[in-house]
Amino acid sequence: MHATPVVHTDHSDHIHPPPEGFIRKYVFSTDHKVIAFQYLAVGIFFLMIAGSFAELIRVQLWNPKGTFLSFSTYNEMFTMHGTVGVWLVVIPLVTGALGNFIMPLQIGARDVAFPWLNMLSFWLFPVAGLILFSSFIFGLPSAGWTEYPPISLQYVGTAFWCLAIITIGISSTLTGLNFTATVVKMRAPGMTWTRMPLFTWATFATALVNMIATVALSAALLALFLDTVFHVPFFEADKGGAPVMYQHMFWFYSHPAVYIFILPAFGVISEVLPVFCRRTIFGYKMIAFSSLAIAILGFAVWAHHMFPSGIAPWLQLPFMIVTYAIGIPTGLKVFSWLATLWGGRIQFSTPMLYALAFLITFTFGGITGIFLAAVPADLHEHGSYFVVGHFHYVVAGGSVIGFLAAVTFWFPKATGRMLHEGLGKLGFWLFVIGLTGTFLPMHWLGLEGLPRRYASYEYFLARYPDVVFWNRVETVSSFFMAASVAILVINMIWSIRRGRASGINPWGARTLEWTISSPPPYYNFKKIPTVFGRPYDYSEPLPYRNLDNDVDAYPAPMPAPRPNPSLGGR
Amino acid sequence: MADQLTGTKPQVIEPKGMGPGFWPVMIALTVVNLVIAYIILFTPLDWLLPAEWNPVADRAADIDLLFKFMGVFGLAILVYVTGFVFYAAFAFRRRPEEPANSVGVHLHDLPKLEFWWTVIPTILLTVLVALTIQIWHRIQFGTAASALTTEVIAHQFNFEIRYPGWQGSVFTPPDEMHLPVGKPVRLLITSGDVIHQYWVPEFRLKAAAVPGLVQNLNFMPTRTGTFDIACSEYCGINHSKMQGKVVVESPQAFEKWLAGAKAHVRTGPVAVAKGDAGAGKALFAQKCAVCHAMGPFDQKIVGPGLLKITDDPKHPKLVDGKPPTPANIANILQNGYTGPIGAMPNRQANGLSDKDIANLVSYLVSLK
Amino acid sequence: MSALNSPLEAVEARYLDVDPVYAETRDIRLLGFVMALGADCVLFSSFIFAYLYLRTASPAWPPFVGGHQLPRLDTAFAALNSMVLFGSGVTMHYALENWKHLKKQAFNGWLAATIVLGILFLLGQGHEYLSAQMTWQGSSFGASFFTLTGMHGFHVLVGVCYLIVLMIQSNRGVYTGSKYFGLTAGTLYWHFVDVIWVFLFFLFYLW
Repeated sequence: MHATPVVHTDHSDHIHPPPEGFIRKYVFSTDHKVIAFQYLAVGIFFLMIAGSFAELIRVQLWNPKGTFLSFSTYNEMFTMHGTVGVWLVVIPLVTGALGNFIMPLQIGARDVAFPWLNMLSFWLFPVAGLILFSSFIFGLPSAGWTEYPPISLQYVGTAFWCLAIITIGISSTLTGLNFTATVVKMRAPGMTWTRMPLFTWATFATALVNMIATVALSAALLALFLDTVFHVPFFEADKGGAPVMYQHMFWFYSHPAVYIFILPAFGVISEVLPVFCRRTIFGYKMIAFSSLAIAILGFAVWAHHMFPSGIAPWLQLPFMIVTYAIGIPTGLKVFSWLATLWGGRIQFSTPMLYALAFLITFTFGGITGIFLAAVPADLHEHGSYFVVGHFHYVVAGGSVIGFLAAVTFWFPKATGRMLHEGLGKLGFWLFVIGLTGTFLPMHWLGLEGLPRRYASYEYFLARYPDVVFWNRVETVSSFFMAASVAILVINMIWSIRRGRASGINPWGARTLEWTISSPPPYYNFKKIPTVFGRPYDYSEPLPYRNLDNDVDAYPAPMPAPRPNPSLGGR
Repeated sequence: MADQLTGTKPQVIEPKGMGPGFWPVMIALTVVNLVIAYIILFTPLDWLLPAEWNPVADRAADIDLLFKFMGVFGLAILVYVTGFVFYAAFAFRRRPEEPANSVGVHLHDLPKLEFWWTVIPTILLTVLVALTIQIWHRIQFGTAASALTTEVIAHQFNFEIRYPGWQGSVFTPPDEMHLPVGKPVRLLITSGDVIHQYWVPEFRLKAAAVPGLVQNLNFMPTRTGTFDIACSEYCGINHSKMQGKVVVESPQAFEKWLAGAKAHVRTGPVAVAKGDAGAGKALFAQKCAVCHAMGPFDQKIVGPGLLKITDDPKHPKLVDGKPPTPANIANILQNGYTGPIGAMPNRQANGLSDKDIANLVSYLVSLK
Repeated sequence: MSALNSPLEAVEARYLDVDPVYAETRDIRLLGFVMALGADCVLFSSFIFAYLYLRTASPAWPPFVGGHQLPRLDTAFAALNSMVLFGSGVTMHYALENWKHLKKQAFNGWLAATIVLGILFLLGQGHEYLSAQMTWQGSSFGASFFTLTGMHGFHVLVGVCYLIVLMIQSNRGVYTGSKYFGLTAGTLYWHFVDVIWVFLFFLFYLW
């Protein structure tokens, strides 16, 4: 290997001039921070749509007869709730919004590797939503967010669904590619892999999964589209096709997809805990490498979604074993986070409350995952409410809580304002209580025999009369969660104008984004800093040189607001 | 600049020992776990699992054992994690009198601790895997060869049940399946249209009904009673209305019922009027091609290929052993067929009118 | 200039001396492009999985349609067409080599040959499609064959268009002796299309 001439510039001459005009600044912007805001805005819009569909489902399930909606509308509602929730809410918010905003700042870069591609990725997102909802004229997709053939072949909506998800899939793949190249090539000098912040590790692992797995989904959906529209018999048994093959192709992506949901949330928790415990993260290397292990193992478990579906019995065994095995790196993370709490000086700001709740709700979701991994137990639980309870605990109690922690934590950096702490705490309690009430009863309803995707559960009354009571508990609790999201949105809108000024580092955090102004200038860093250590050690000075601003070597959190005497406080 | 050490050097605050009240809290959590374990292992869990402690099928008892094992250890982990989070939030909270620059302990790693918290869960998981594999093996391969074979063919939106040794199927709503207690059963499950899923919660038994393939479910009912069958894979607009019943009864009562059910099924030759082969061809593509290829006998999808049904030197008779006359072909269409080769629905299940049968017979007979 | 070990190093040294920023961006763009090709591999792999699944699940191959077994594909013609495509890979390699050595005339010749061979391949595929006995909708054979080779053909078509664009751009002076990432990308893409064809030829014609 010949010696490559090493090139060092301080890059300060590579700051491009600021974008001019409203369109270049806010509409077709290539700035990762603006794109992150755009993802956030559109993602929250779709969150409210998916949430509204969920509320319609819950109102329908208030009564066992299920007369609030027609059966076909109900089927459309659970399909669209899942479809919008997975592809138009969770994935864009955790990768497009969080990844875009935070990761380049954490590695000391001025933008992502391919800013124009980043902008394209964003704009494919509302286009995908438009395609999906335009199916309304023919009937929204209604065979579940999984759209299994042969039933899905019978609806026109399936074709729109395929095109919409392929579109958002292209967006996701490009984002994965972009982030991978960014983390590999654009870290600040001195930031070796083991000095990278853990959210960046998480984003990197997520980007790898995104880049590889999403294309497999596009292939599955292309095949489904061809079968639905052109009757190309991939999945029609009478012409040599195989319905079960769709499930293999679909789940080969959709299982890694759930790691796309959760890995960024893991990264957020790893960032939030050290800050609010005022001590270093425990087990940095374990947490970093377990993200990669989970990302890789996640490709080897897909058929656990298909245990009763007609796969050969011998195939169940390896998938069961690897599914169990994936619990180990996940458990290691949880233990490391618990060890981070030990010996800390904990402050209960809103982001920390979400992080603490995450530890409990995600662990519960992970344990019910073990219940599902065991084939004999899964043969009872599959297709029942137990599964619905499990995945909502890991998605709502995992990804969404991680996302809420991230929003409340990085909002001051993005806007220069603090969120209202009282509203934040109220929103937190509403969310956690709502989550528990909505999804906990689903576990025993499922074990008792209630199948999922039922518009009416009348027949179940004779077996288990309490089903009505528990469904009503779930319905009421779901409105608590809805209220929590509404409060968050109100909080964000109010605080952008009226929030307390945050300054550079209100939380006293130590990663690079907390050394530049809030909000950051469009070029992020005038001088690219040099990094000579890991960021989390609170008893050491900041491990950076060549920072833009005059920050304290030992950052301390901004003091809590004192009551204002002129407003009657003492 | 962070180059110069501005800002106040932080004050590290170390906990005394493991922290205030750590061991009492851990002991309390352990007691909670022991209580939970007792409830799971020694009290009836009927409020959680149907017919628990009173199993209805041999495999149900096995599976419930697995649930209990996972329940004890899973809930134990949850209790410890939740308990520790609350404990830490209390014990390691920042006190108001602490200076603004106080920080927690300087602890990156404890290799020994990390080793044990990797090894112990791995051991636990390995035990769970071993237990699961044992139970899995019993379920997949544990049924005696003398099993009663019953076929379940799922349709939108009901379950058609067929028994061996007699022609025809039981297809009267509410879909009802009878089984003799104490005898091993093999269910052959398939679908006539889209994917459905056959689930009897009390049996802990579930299998997808997939068009184009047949799944096996093997078990032995151990207790009499009436239990629900529910479809648990979305199959269309009336998915939530697709249920049935399985009645487990004494072998004598079962034989009596079977004889009685047989009486409802029409058998015997059917007079066949001349039909329209063109219409029959279209109808074949619509209803029959799911299971029958237009090819030689061996080109099996679910049933044999029907191209040479009237003149195949390798298969000179129909599957029921009768010569391939129009009347005998019509008979199979009328009553369906069950035998070693598989199960074919009767006319009711397939939704065939007399005219349809006539058209199909004309078509099949016209093939060469 | 210091002694260097290979012509490529000489080239690298040239652009590093000239433009260190270009060197960095070229590295990132190359990584991005290679990863994009990797993602494209996943697309083909998924459909190859589908083909393998359907083929092994079928009681006979080629399957029976309407009472008759479908015939196997014409391996001889496809082998000829494959030589055309692989030949275009060779010509593309020489085109890039000549560019690096600043031999523009030769570059143009080799690139033109690549484009012609690419178009010939597409015409060959067209003939194959028109003379095929199975239909896209009729069987799992038609479904997998036409979809996979169709996707591949689409990639070849896009490649041919891009090569034409490269021909135009290089003659307009967009690329220099030291800055020619578009040509590198085009060559990589063209070789990628060839490699995919190796697999498809084996899976549909030889196996």
